[in-house]
Order: sequence, then C-alpha cells, then structure tokens
Amino acid sequence: MELLSNLALGFATALSLQNLFYAFIGVLIGTLIGVLPGIGPIATLAMLLPTTYALEPTSALIMLAGIYYGAQYGGSTTAILVNLPGESSSVVTCLDGYQMARRGRAGAALGVAAIGSFFAGTFATLLVAAFAPPLTELAFKFGPAEYFSLMVLGLIGAVVLASGSLIKAIAMIVLGLLLGLVGTDVNSGVARFTFDVPELSDGIGFVAVAMGVFGFAEIIANLEKKDKREVFTSKVGSLLPNWSEAKQAAPAVARGTLLGSVLGILPGGGALLAAFAAYTVEKKVAGASADPPFGKGNIRGVAGPESANNAGAQTSFIPMLTLGIPPNAVMALMIGAMTIHNIQPGPQVMTSNPSLFWGLIASMWIGNLMLVILNLPLIGVWIQLLKVPYRLLYPAILVFCCIGVYSINNNTFDVYMTVIFAVIGYLFYKLRCEPAPLLLGFILGPMMEENLRRAMLLSRGDPTVFFTRPLSLTLLLMAAALVVIVALPAIKKTREVAFQEAD
Amino acid sequence: MKIRNEQNFWSGVMFFAFGLAFVVLAREYDMGTAQRMGPAYFPTILGGLLAALGVVIAFTALGGEKQADHRVEKFHFDALGWVLSAVVAFALLLRPAGLVVALVVLVLISGMGSHDRNFKQLLVLTAGLVILVLTVFIYGLGLTLPVWPAFMRD
Repeated sequence: MELLSNLALGFATALSLQNLFYAFIGVLIGTLIGVLPGIGPIATLAMLLPTTYALEPTSALIMLAGIYYGAQYGGSTTAILVNLPGESSSVVTCLDGYQMARRGRAGAALGVAAIGSFFAGTFATLLVAAFAPPLTELAFKFGPAEYFSLMVLGLIGAVVLASGSLIKAIAMIVLGLLLGLVGTDVNSGVARFTFDVPELSDGIGFVAVAMGVFGFAEIIANLEKKDKREVFTSKVGSLLPNWSEAKQAAPAVARGTLLGSVLGILPGGGALLAAFAAYTVEKKVAGASADPPFGKGNIRGVAGPESANNAGAQTSFIPMLTLGIPPNAVMALMIGAMTIHNIQPGPQVMTSNPSLFWGLIASMWIGNLMLVILNLPLIGVWIQLLKVPYRLLYPAILVFCCIGVYSINNNTFDVYMTVIFAVIGYLFYKLRCEPAPLLLGFILGPMMEENLRRAMLLSRGDPTVFFTRPLSLTLLLMAAALVVIVALPAIKKTREVAFQEAD
Repeated sequence: MKIRNEQNFWSGVMFFAFGLAFVVLAREYDMGTAQRMGPAYFPTILGGLLAALGVVIAFTALGGEKQADHRVEKFHFDALGWVLSAVVAFALLLRPAGLVVALVVLVLISGMGSHDRNFKQLLVLTAGLVILVLTVFIYGLGLTLPVWPAFMRD
C-alpha cells in the first residue's frame, strides 16, 4: 500500500522530537491567541509567521498548521464561553454553544467541540492523504491555460461562497491582483508601480498586507467598539457530555465531518462555509421536535458545525498542497509562508520534498490529538485569559506584530507599509468591504499573469485557447455556473438570509 | 440623485480611483501584444476592470431613500492615530534608540488609544512585555534586532 508507506514517512517526520515540539508550540500558542476575542486565524497566523522564520521549512509549516488549528479551536472556546466569535467560522457555535453555557453545560459543549473536531480531523487527514497523490497527477497535466482557468474558478468560488456583496468581493479580488503585481516584472525586468522606492522592487511584502489589513485594522476597529464581555466562569461542569447528549451529538459529528470534508476542498470553501452548512443541515435534520430547540442550547448545533469547520480547515489543504492554489485566505498565508522558505508551492512539492509533504499531513493528525489533550485540562487557563481586558491585550499584540514585520527583512520599511495597509484596511472596514478576497488575489496576482502570458504565447495571441482546451473550458464553465447560480433570485435570497443569521 | 447605500457608493468611488490609478501608472510601461504581453498589459486590463466595477458599484448604490444601516459610520481618528503613530514611532526609534526604548514608546503611545486607559497597568504591561520580548525573541529565537541605543553598542 502506497498510502501506508507515505503515511509512515509522514509520521516518521512528524514524530521527530523537534517537529513534535514545534507542533505542540504551534497548537498551544495558536489556541492562546485564538481564544482572545476579535483575533481570527488569519491575524493570528500573520502575527506568528515571523516566529517560524528561523526554523527549517518542515518544522515551520508544521508549526504554522498547528497555529491554524489552535486558533480555530480557540475561537470556538471563546464562542461558547463569551458568546463572542473569535473568528467567523465559530459564529454558528455561538448560537447553541453559549446557550448551553448559560444552562450550566459549558463543559459538555467544550468537550463535544473538542471530540467532534478530533474525529473530523482524523477523517480529513486520511482524506488528504488519499486524495493528494491523484490530484497531483492531474495537476501535472495542466498547462498554463488550465492553470489560469483554475485560478479564475478558485477566485470566483471564493467570492461566491463568501458573505456580503458579490460585486464588491470581485472588485476586492481585482484590487488584490493589482497589488500583487507591484514590483519587478519577471519577463521584462521593469519595476512596476514602485515609485522608485527600491524596497518595492521585490513587491509589496505579503506579511505587511495581511498584518495591516487583518491585524492592525482589526485592532483599531475593536477599539471603537466598547467591548462588553460576560465570561461564564461560574460553572463549566463536566467536560464529558452525558449519555443522552452523546447520543444526539454522535450522528451530528459524523454528518458535520462528511459535509465539512467535501466543502473544504471546493475553491472558496473551508472552515467558514462548512460550519454554516453543517448548522443548517443539523437544524433541518432535527426538525421542529428538537429538544431543546436550536438556538436554545441544542448540543447538535455545536457538534455538527464544530466537526465541519475542523474537517473543512483540514481538507482545504488539498488544493493548496496539490495545485499550489489557495482556496481561502488562510491557505494564501500558508503559501506565502512556503515562499518565504523558498518552497515553490505546486504539484512538484510532493515529489521533490516528500518528507515535508507527508510530514505536514501526518502532523495534522498529531496536531488534532494535541488539541484534545491540551484543551480539556487547560480550559481554566483560557477562562482566565478571557478576563484580561482588551486595553492590555492590544498593545501586546502590536508589539508582536511590529517585531514580526521588522524581522522579515530586518527593515523598518515593512513596518511603514503595514501602517499604510492598516489605514486602507480601516477604510475597507468602514465601507464594509470584506478583505479576505483581497489577500487571495494578492497571492494569485503574479501567478495569474505568468500563466496568462504563457498561455497566450503558446497560442500565438489567440485568446480562444481558454475555451478550446477541454479541461480549461470545463473549469471556466464551472466558474460561470457558480456566478449564475448565485445570481438566481431564489438562491440570492437564501444566501442573504443564511449570512444574516451570522451577524 | 440621492445616495441610497453610502457604503457601496464610496466603495465604488474607491475602486474606481484605484483602477484608474493603475491604468494611468501603467501607461509608462510597454504594452506589448496579446502574444507577447508587455509589463503594462495585465495591469491595464485589471485596472480597467476594477474601474468599471467601481462605476457599477457606485451607480447601483444611487437612487431611493437613504438606508440607515448602510451609512458610513464616523471614523475614529483618535484610536487610529494613537495606534498607528505608536507603530511609526517604533519604526523610527528602533535603529537609533534600540528595541527596548522603541518597545516602551510603542506600548505607552498605543495604550492611549483605549477608552478605558489605566496608566499603572500600562506601565506594568510595558515592563512585562520588554522582559518577555527580550527572553523569547532575542535570547530564545535569536532574532537580530538592535537591543540598546546606538551609542551604547560597540
């Protein structure tokens, strides 16, 4: 069995003392920061990215992946205990999780979230291991035209499934693509849009964009909302769900896992969409006879979405690892991290760097196991952390961000760039322009231009090449179908309603 | 013409301005042909697309009664000012004055941005963060940042 030998290689890599240590540190710090309200996985990853520069690539990616699951899970803890989603994918966890906490079942909600996530993570890790090789094979058949069309599909998928205005999201992508083009053009050597600033000839720093728009702008936005937190500390209760809760939760975990795994692979999918879809499914399955009703602390409303978002978080690594194309903003960050470590993301990673590839996959499972072991006893610590007032948190966050941005190139220029992007990000926030598509476009900009150029060169300037090659045509048709489906009045309405529940 | 959705209207204006800026700036570079694209080709297409999207977004936000929940809220320049000037001060001070001074300034200035600031706590926080950063980043992770002011370094 090739799968087994691959996994064996992966575990051999991931179980080395050094990598275990970094996975542990990643999960621990990720949870620690993820627990803090108002800091999502993207901001957490951007903030902690610099701590991994000094590591070797495999350890760095393992640690970053750990940070990601940690942040994801930390967000759920906050959602259940404080009714504040630490990140968007735990919005639905608030609905029933917080109600459970109010009824004194906070422990059961946290426990089921942890166990459900672990089950989902295990399943999704196997799925990633099974699907990565065939997809990589497929990726090698892709020419530049197919890659270009795939990126179009990925970007369209990302906005279709995102919340908010579709056309604004598309505009944000285009703006991201344009910002990604700043710097020296590889083909002609011309420095584009650099205003003769030498530091810009390598392009705008990707950490500066991510940290400015997600980190700093979020802090400023949080500062103007006076935060009212009501932490449930009185009684967390037993972390194990009782028998009737377990009986209700188990099928919800299974459904959430399957749904999340599928949705994670889709372009634009991932944790957020998975959690929403799972909540809707659980509500439908339970029907009106649900006891207690949904929104009043039904354990299925925690079990389903929590399993789904973890499964989705995991399987969204598939397109990133096999095609080198990020399906969402978190994976865009992972790609950025790979590039910093001089690894060109794409199908060749699996063959040229098998221990990194399989080590990362194996570490996903190990990371999930650590989450369960770590979180259940540490709940008390997280509760203490939730009591720290924001006025003391944000200066600390700023400190880590500033040191991180500076250390990328040991240059203060990146710090100034972050400030500029913080202002832009704050403007986006005021105008309700969702920034995640911008980051996706920013990463894909240069790749898209390169593939467009190559495709057009091969076709001697004939743009129909994108429609005459069957694979490319299929991808473009899928993208067009997505736009049409979302524009249909009936779907548009449900989509709006679905996302409104989140607000 | 009345603006119905302020947020979308101004977003449209912003996208239009960005798109136009890229198109105009790209005119300095070689356009090339479809077969051999020059450095200006892709940015010009994208910039044009962005400007067009901006126009559509702005125009569809016009007409009808003003929607209260889509009004552009007031900008809080005080929080923005404190946080960002703290970061700029950090960047300016880091090389000449060293990490310790830069951190103290960063934490103290940014701490002013909160509506419920507490100086005593802020001072304790500053001291704690300086110690934490020195132990974790400098001695632990071995990042090369200038720790002390330039005149004290050899």
